[in-house]
Amino acid sequence: MSPFLKTLENEVQLICLAFLALVYILRLAWIFRFRSARDRGLAEGSGFRGAGYSLGSVAMPWAMESIRRRPFFYIQFVFFHLGVVAAIAATFIIPYAPGLFEKRFIVRGFQIVIGAAFASGVLRLVRRLSNRTLRSISRPDDYASLALMIAFFLAGTLAIPNHPEKGEAALIAFFGLTAFFLVYVPFSKICHYLYYPFTRYFLGLTLGRRGVWPPARGRRGSASSADGTAAGRPS
Amino acid sequence: MSRTTAPRSRQVIDLPLDVRTQEKAITEKARCVEDGRLATYRPDGRNVERFLALLSRRMNRQLAVSFTGCVHCGLCADACHYSLAFPDDPQMAPVAKADRIRKIFKRHIDWTGRIAPWWVGARRPVDDEDLNELKNVVFGLCSGCRRCTLNCPMGVDTAGLIRFARGLLTELGIVPEGIFNVSRDQWDTGNQMGVSEEDYLETLAWMRDEVRAELGTDTVDIPVDKEGCDFLYVINPREIKFDPRSIGQAAKIFHLAGESWTMPRWGWDNTNFGLFSGDDALGAFVAANAYDAATRLKAKRIVISECGHGFRSTRWEGYGWAGRDQDVPSESVVVTLFRWLEEGRLRVDPGRNPLPVTFHDSCNIARSGGITEEPRRVLARVCADFREMTPNRTENYCCTGGGGLLSMAEYRPVRLEAAAVKARQLEATGAKLVCTMCHNCIDGLTDVIKHYGLDMKVVQILELVDAALVL
Ligand code: SF4
Ligand code: SF4
Repeated sequence: MSPFLKTLENEVQLICLAFLALVYILRLAWIFRFRSARDRGLAEGSGFRGAGYSLGSVAMPWAMESIRRRPFFYIQFVFFHLGVVAAIAATFIIPYAPGLFEKRFIVRGFQIVIGAAFASGVLRLVRRLSNRTLRSISRPDDYASLALMIAFFLAGTLAIPNHPEKGEAALIAFFGLTAFFLVYVPFSKICHYLYYPFTRYFLGLTLGRRGVWPPARGRRGSASSADGTAAGRPS
Repeated sequence: MSRTTAPRSRQVIDLPLDVRTQEKAITEKARCVEDGRLATYRPDGRNVERFLALLSRRMNRQLAVSFTGCVHCGLCADACHYSLAFPDDPQMAPVAKADRIRKIFKRHIDWTGRIAPWWVGARRPVDDEDLNELKNVVFGLCSGCRRCTLNCPMGVDTAGLIRFARGLLTELGIVPEGIFNVSRDQWDTGNQMGVSEEDYLETLAWMRDEVRAELGTDTVDIPVDKEGCDFLYVINPREIKFDPRSIGQAAKIFHLAGESWTMPRWGWDNTNFGLFSGDDALGAFVAANAYDAATRLKAKRIVISECGHGFRSTRWEGYGWAGRDQDVPSESVVVTLFRWLEEGRLRVDPGRNPLPVTFHDSCNIARSGGITEEPRRVLARVCADFREMTPNRTENYCCTGGGGLLSMAEYRPVRLEAAAVKARQLEATGAKLVCTMCHNCIDGLTDVIKHYGLDMKVVQILELVDAALVL
């Protein structure tokens, strides 16, 4: 392995990772700088159950009409994000636990998952380019983020066998992109996973307190009691 | 010769700002305008500056993450009746509407937009024309139904962002005339239809006499400002002005159920234009009127008549606007009716409502209020032929008159075209009656039914319960 690749896989990654962590901390501080609003009416349901339901909806494709109507979109979403997890894991496995990628079935498994993510990414790009509404709301960041992810998945699929002795191009591309991502992500829409827990938590908290989520059929109703519980409205 | 047709959204977006009613209010020295509670438009070239200052001041954590959390996946477009009715018009998509305020947030507050605005589509408004366009989008192309919010995989509260933008514009007087007029009435008279105390009391007395005559007893009453009752009843002013029958029906049922109740002399309006205009101060004022009335009269709970946005405002949002925790319990009258039916306090015969009935869930009650089952249980008891519409409950489509749109005549043509989605949904039920627990939805649905020539009539739950009563 060349010293360049070695440095790229180790020191460069760590520096970029530290940068990402720092920007995330600043980003979180930025979010917490804003005052928080809250529902002050007596609860009909549990805010925490609502928040749990809201956060868990990602694993409940039946819960949202928009997803129910587009099962293929959901499958793409699952592959795309599994690919993200696998590719990120690979950036740690290659420098710190390379033995794992000596097992052929593990390499194949990672390649299939990341390859499927690559295909999902391409389909998403096609959708973004061909759908009029999506085109009209898309900004350079939307296209660049997706294109970069597609390139990242492609490089990951090729780099995962981890054979620098057979040529370093794929590994350099993969770790080069990883380093770039670590710096770029906090400024791009890819950062959405940082906001996701907040948006879903806040929405779930409110709708949970109001008894909207989790959806319950067949409840009985009566006035909320002054102690904040829902008298006669077992959820 | 080929002719290009502008997308329908442009017919709303290009509407000019009309401030004639604002000028009239100034001339008439309207109290709320004089004391600055209701803002009027100032053509001094400083509105963008004021808008940005307000944007920073009003921002909160929930809004900030909804502004930043959108990934532009476009799934919300499938949820909105506007974009479903105009699939070739990208500006109708909820995300496109929210992006009009999101881009300002990004340019003014979010660091990515400040560093590289073109990269993320961040842009400040340039002049009042830009703000007027924003006004037309957030008031004219959205009924605040929140269907997009519940269908966003990221949990982005698009409807919340739209209401936020409405609030900023209201504070600059860049609002549709209807919004200004109704806000003016609600600020100055305590109710959104400008009903005088005399008219209010006279109507209650008239309804009391009607019910007395019907039941043949003088023991039935519509008490006003009576202390220590089981509940305080608050209504929609539309009931006084256009549908006093519903007050009579309520009085009759309350009498039969045997609970003590009262209406307040002041603080009886459960509706709240603050929800529609985004004006939290108005929201606080109106909601607090009802809360204070309950406290003053030592009522054990507040019962809210059949009104969707009135329920959401009084039961939920009002406490936040008024900055106070809820102390007196409150509930929708439909929940009260359901309990009485369960307890056997009311005897009903479903055979008296033989026509096929379907139920329209009000957005503010189902998606933002948590009530979906009680009305169905009541209808199951009082109607012989109940049919669900599809989709229903939290997935139901808006009556298309929400968000204060019924007061904004300039947006009506596009609203009614967007209502094609609702019309198809209603028609598919084959029902002759569409029941809703919202006065606003009555008008919204009646408009849709008339416009699309459907063979249906809109009714309310109280009306059906009253018709089914076995005395
Ligand atoms: S569904 Fe949510 S994340 Fe997707 S475009 Fe709409 S608001 Fe944005
Ligand atoms: S709140 Fe309703 S009307 Fe407004 S954009 Fe969302 S789905 Fe459309």
